[in-house]
Amino acid sequence: MTMSWQLEAEAPAGRGTTARRYRLGNGLTLISAVDRRAPIVALQTWFRVGSRHERPGATGMAHLFEHLMFGQTESMPPGEFDRLVERTGGESNAATWVDWTYYRLSLPARDLALGVRLEAERMQHLVLESGPVESERDVVTNERRERVEDDVDGWLDEQLMAHAFTVHPYRWPTIGWMEDIRALSLPDIRAFYRTWYAPNNATIVCVGDFDEPALLDLIATHYGAIPPAQLPEPSQALEPAQVKERVVRAPKPIATDRLLVGYKAPGQDDPDWAVLEIVATLLAGCPSARLYRRLVIEREAASSVDAQLTPFRDPSLLRLAVTAARGHTADEILGVIDEELALMAEKPPTTAEVEKAKAIAETDFWTSLVDVDGKAEALGHYEAALGDFRKVNSLAERLAQVTAEDVARVVRTYLTANRRTVVIAEPETDDAEDDA
Amino acid sequence: MSKGAAKPAGPVVVVEASQDTPLVWFDVAIRGGASSDPRGVEGLHRHAALLARRGTSRRDRAELDETLDNLGAALDVGVSRDAVSVSGLALSRHLDSVIDLAADMLAEPRFAEDEHARLLRETPQVLDEIRDDDSALATRWFDWVCSPGHSYGRTSLGTEASLLRIDRMSAVDTWRREVTADNLVIGLAGDIDEATAARVVTRLTERLPATGRAALEAEVTAGLPEAPARGRRTILVDKPDRTQAQLRVGHLSVRYGDPDTAALAIAEAVFGGMFSSRLMQEIRVKRGWSYGAGCALRRSRLRHWFEIWMAAGIDVAGPAVALTLELFAEYAAKGPSDDEVDFARSYLVGAMPFHVATARQRMQLAVRDAVFDLPPGYTAKLPEELGALAAEDVRAACKRQLRPDDAVTVAVTTAEQAQAALAAAGGGTLTVVDHDEY
Repeated sequence: MTMSWQLEAEAPAGRGTTARRYRLGNGLTLISAVDRRAPIVALQTWFRVGSRHERPGATGMAHLFEHLMFGQTESMPPGEFDRLVERTGGESNAATWVDWTYYRLSLPARDLALGVRLEAERMQHLVLESGPVESERDVVTNERRERVEDDVDGWLDEQLMAHAFTVHPYRWPTIGWMEDIRALSLPDIRAFYRTWYAPNNATIVCVGDFDEPALLDLIATHYGAIPPAQLPEPSQALEPAQVKERVVRAPKPIATDRLLVGYKAPGQDDPDWAVLEIVATLLAGCPSARLYRRLVIEREAASSVDAQLTPFRDPSLLRLAVTAARGHTADEILGVIDEELALMAEKPPTTAEVEKAKAIAETDFWTSLVDVDGKAEALGHYEAALGDFRKVNSLAERLAQVTAEDVARVVRTYLTANRRTVVIAEPETDDAEDDA
Repeated sequence: MSKGAAKPAGPVVVVEASQDTPLVWFDVAIRGGASSDPRGVEGLHRHAALLARRGTSRRDRAELDETLDNLGAALDVGVSRDAVSVSGLALSRHLDSVIDLAADMLAEPRFAEDEHARLLRETPQVLDEIRDDDSALATRWFDWVCSPGHSYGRTSLGTEASLLRIDRMSAVDTWRREVTADNLVIGLAGDIDEATAARVVTRLTERLPATGRAALEAEVTAGLPEAPARGRRTILVDKPDRTQAQLRVGHLSVRYGDPDTAALAIAEAVFGGMFSSRLMQEIRVKRGWSYGAGCALRRSRLRHWFEIWMAAGIDVAGPAVALTLELFAEYAAKGPSDDEVDFARSYLVGAMPFHVATARQRMQLAVRDAVFDLPPGYTAKLPEELGALAAEDVRAACKRQLRPDDAVTVAVTTAEQAQAALAAAGGGTLTVVDHDEY
C-alpha cells in the first residue's frame, strides 16, 4: 500500500472553485475544493452503503449507523464526539438514503484537523455494545413514529416504494420496518460495520478554507494505515418492468384526500433523467406549471401539487404528490393528471415553455452551490451515487440540451398508467373508526 | 459590504455583495406583520400579502407567474409576527426585469376580486394541512394558549371565523398604509454592485408614499401586555390514532435585543440548544424517549416565547412532561454550571462564522435586526457580549426570565391513551380539546 495520493480528476465546482479527486493507496477517495470566502470548512464522509445494501428482515441497518456513529470509540467515551465538535462552534449530522450514507461536519477552518481525526477514528474504532445500541434503537423507533406512523406524508412515501418495487431493495424504507429495527442483532450490526465502513468504500469531501497540500498530508496521516475491506459484490437486483397500474388506499385521520403517484423512471445517470427533470418542472415545479395551474388555480381541486424525480442510481420514480381541496377527491385529481399527461404526450410543449424550465434549472443549479455545505453535498452525492463528482456539471449541461420533442417522447415512454403506482390516503369516516 | 443606515424618510437598506454565483437575492420587509392584524380579523396581513402577489396593474396572476418563471426567478411573500416580506431570487442578468415586477407588486398590486375570493376559499385548506401535521398543530395551539392577550398569540394564518371577516378593501387599505418607503427594510445580496443596488432601491420605492411609519409604530406597540402569573396549565389536543405526543412547554419571555438576550442565548444553548444540552441528553440519549428535544427563545421584535419541544412516544408522554418540568424548574432556580457556561459560550462564538458565511445570510441577519429596531450589526456583535458575560450573569438571567411555575404544556396526542399520565405529570390544570376546533 502506498501513502501517496493520485490526482484522478478535476472540474469546476461553481465560480472560482475547482474540485479535485485524489485517491490513496488503500482506496480512500478525496474530493477537495478550496473556497476561502469564509473561515469555515465542510468535511463530509460519504460511504457507498445505503438501504439498498440491506437484506429483507434486517432493514434499517444503514440508517441505524447514522445514529451509532456518534457514539463511543476506542479512544473516546460516549458523548465525546459531539462535545468536541460543539465546543468549536461546529455542527455534526448525518443522512442515509438508498444509495449512500454520509456524515457531515461543519467546522471552523482552524479545527479541520480535529474533524479529520474524529472521522478517521470512527471509521475504524467504533465501539458497538449492547447498552448504547439499545438506546439508539429506541430513538430510531421514535424517529419512525414521528416521520411515518404519525405523519401521513411519511406513510404515503413508504407505501409508494413498497408497492412500486417488487424485487429491488428500493422497496423497503430507509429507516427500516419497525419490526426489523426492533430485531436487528448486535452481531449483525457489528458485521455491517466491518463490511462497509472501510476506506475503499468511502469518499471524503472537503470544501472550504484550507490549504490543499496540508489537507492531503493530514488525511494520509490519519487514514493511510487503515486497510481496505473486502467489499461485497454490488447487488444486481433488476426490477421487472411494471405492466399494470397498482393502487393502494387506506383511511387516515386527515381532512382531505392525499395522493402520491409514482411513475417508473430511469436512474439518474440515464440521458432521459434530465428530460424528466424538465417534465417535473413543467408539471408542478413553478407557479405557472401545468398541473399547478389546472388543479390549484383553475379547478381549485387541490391545495398543493408537487413533482419530484428521485435522484437514485438505479431506475426509480417520478412522483406527483397532491393534497385534495375540500370537496374534491383523489380520483378526480388522477383524472386531471391523466388529461394533462395525454396533452403533453400528444403535442410537445412550445420551445418557450421548455426554455422556462431550463431557466429554473439554471437557478436551481447555482442555488445548490451557494455555500460550502451545499457544494460538498452536491459533489459527494454524484461521486457516491454515480461514481463521478463531475456529473454535477454534466447534468446541468444535459438539462440545457433538452428539446420540446424530448419532453413529449419521455412523457409517452415513462408517464403511462401501466407504469405507475398510486397511493391514496382518505379521511377516516365514522364507519371506519367504528370498524377499527 | 453592509450598509444599515436609514436615510430621512427612506427605507433602511442593506447590501451584501458577492460574486460567488450569478444570483441576486432581495428581501423587502414591510414592518408591521401579523401582530398588527385587527383583533377578530386575524389573517389580514397574510391575505393582503398573498393577494398582492397575485397580479399587478400591468399583469394578472397568470402573466406575472409566467413572466417570473420565464426568467428562472422567484418572487414570494411571507408573513411573520413582525413583518410582511417580499423575497426574490434572480439570475443577475435578469435582475432589472425581476425588480420591475417586484416594484409593480409593491406599488400597484391588482387586488383582483376573483383572486380575493379564491384566496378566502384556499386558506381554510391550509388550516386542514396544519391539523394533519402534528408538529405544526402543536405549535399553532401553543402560540394561542401560551400568553392569552399577547399579539403574538393570535394566528397569522387566521381562523375559520376570522377569515370570514376579511374583505378586499381591508386588504387594500392595509397594503397602502404599510407599504411606504420609510416602513421598508430592503436587503440585497449576491452578484450586485453598489451602483446597481442604488438603482434597484430607487425602482422599488419611487412609486411608494414616502412616509407612513409613525402611525404604524403606535399601533404595533400599543397594548403590549405584561406577563401575568397564571400557574401551570396543560392543553391536550386530542387526535385519534397517535403513537406519539407532540409536546410544547413554555411561557412568555423577553424580546430579542433585551439586555438579557446574550445571557439567555447561553442559557438556551445549555438547556436545549445543542446536542450536548441537558434536554437532549436526558430525554433522548439516556432514555430514548424522543428523537429530538430542545428549546429556544423565539427571536422577535416584541416579548416572545421561551419554548421547549419534543415528540415522545405516547407510552412515555406523561413521564416526559414530568421530567421536563422538573429539569426546567431546577434549571431556572440554579442555572448552568461554570463549565456549562464556558462550553456554551465557546459553541456560540465559534458558530457565528456559519451564520454569516454567505452574502445572503449576512443580508438576512441585518434585515432582521432592522425589523426588530436593533442597532446595525447587533447580531453580528453578540459574540463580544457573550465573551464579556460571567457565569453568574447567566444564572441571574435564568432566575429573572425562566418561569417554570407559569409553564404551559401543549400535547397533541390521543387522549384515550395519554390523558391520565399527562394529568399526573405536574403540568397543572389539564384541558382536553379536539384537534380540529382551532
